Amino acid sequence: MVGIVILAILAISASVGVVTARQPVHSALYLVGNILSLALLYLMLKAEFLAAAQVIVYAGAIMVLFLFVVTLLTAGKEERELPEDLPGQRIVAGILSVIVGGVFVALAIKYPGPTLKAPLPSHFGDLTGIGRLLWGPDFIYLVAIAIMLVSAALGVLVLNPPRKRRQQEAEAREQRAESKASPETTRKEREGTGS
Amino acid sequence: MILLLIILIVKIILLIAILMGGFAYTTLLERRLLGFMQLRLGPNRVGPWGLLQPLADGLKMALKEDLMPAGADRFVFRMAPVFSLFAALCVDAVIPFGAPIHLFGTSISLDIANPSIGLLIAFAFSSLGIYGIVLGGWASQNKYSLLGGIRASAQMISYELAMGLSILGVLMLAHTANLENIVLAQKEHGWFFVPEIIPFLIYYTTAVAETNRTPFDLPEAESELVAGYHTEYSGFRFAMFYIAEYINMIAVSGLAVTLFFGGWLGPGFLPPIIWFLLKVGISMFIFIWVRATFPRFRYDKLMSFGWKFLVPVAFVYFLATAAFVSGVL
Repeated sequence: MVGIVILAILAISASVGVVTARQPVHSALYLVGNILSLALLYLMLKAEFLAAAQVIVYAGAIMVLFLFVVTLLTAGKEERELPEDLPGQRIVAGILSVIVGGVFVALAIKYPGPTLKAPLPSHFGDLTGIGRLLWGPDFIYLVAIAIMLVSAALGVLVLNPPRKRRQQEAEAREQRAESKASPETTRKEREGTGS
Repeated sequence: MILLLIILIVKIILLIAILMGGFAYTTLLERRLLGFMQLRLGPNRVGPWGLLQPLADGLKMALKEDLMPAGADRFVFRMAPVFSLFAALCVDAVIPFGAPIHLFGTSISLDIANPSIGLLIAFAFSSLGIYGIVLGGWASQNKYSLLGGIRASAQMISYELAMGLSILGVLMLAHTANLENIVLAQKEHGWFFVPEIIPFLIYYTTAVAETNRTPFDLPEAESELVAGYHTEYSGFRFAMFYIAEYINMIAVSGLAVTLFFGGWLGPGFLPPIIWFLLKVGISMFIFIWVRATFPRFRYDKLMSFGWKFLVPVAFVYFLATAAFVSGVL
């Protein structure tokens, strides 16, 4: 119980940090902190596979992609405050979030969850248990998610057809041939296409 | 209870001591071997055969001035190498270094923790190691450092995918993700590099890329980026990045030995832990050999090699292993 409270405080303060940090990279770091404390919460709730998957997928892959973009955006820029379009939005957002949080707390106190009496089923939360669920009763959800992911990948291919890409590359090559007089720019372009 | 706690603390201290000693003498081995491979001697002046060279290096690192670039993000700049080293050390915590030994009437397993998903835990920590490099590159506020950090993040994500796919075959053959049980399964079925030779080669290639070593050292390519992500680091903070790289090497070698080469298993005339360390040593030698042999990849070739060759091959072999294990084939 004490551990869960500590982790919950960590997670909430990290998520407050995400929205209040001035630097986008700091926001991303707070989000990593939030993800890691959530992973520890899963671990305390005996969902060890979920904890490992949370760290590998979210902290190890998705947040690195975030950082990849964010570090590029803010490279070498000093902090400066832009004038806000909506005056007072910070205060209103703060009040609203306190109200929403208060409602959640009130609901949790009014309708407490049932206390767990039976012991956890064997293989709860480990690889075997997750595998049995996913390839047993929950197989339909696995298939649904697989269809969704494949259609997303196909969508990328449809939106960016290979022939079009080949045409674009041919045009780029022509441009490069034209600007051959200045070798400096051609080298930059070649490096640009490589990344 | 207290005895278990004492044993755990002793194990942690021993592991860190072994890893630090391993790091120190790997640097010496690397410099000497690279020297021989390039027809020169390498450092041989401090102590007999240069054996005290790591001590001199460490002293030099500790006494150097700790520089901080003017525009740097101070907190992130300080934390980045710490994070790198922390992640590298944590990966080793789940690797079993030898068969369980019997002392004081209790059985002591030679790893810090033995979770049922040990392999996934090791991967989780090794995927966190990238943050140190990216943040170090960003916080330095230096173009070369930033480019190094960005290259590192793109490279790590691409190669982690192939690495994850390459170890799935071992998971299926052993029916477990617990590293100790994977070793024990190899006692029964033979070492897994025999049926999984292609995934092993993919794993080793991606391991070289994950540790940012030549020919995949684009994040610190000295011919274009000065020193990449650690250009602005000096003194002990630089040393931490340096230590993290070598401890990562030891960790991925330990995982390779555990997954594909039977961990601590071996003929009975040597104790298990010696077999394990011997195999890790051979793997480290190959790391150094590769560094002395191959030139650095060009950046676009690195990306297309990872995505268009390693990932498809690993995936096809993974499907074939699944078909074989499930009895379809």
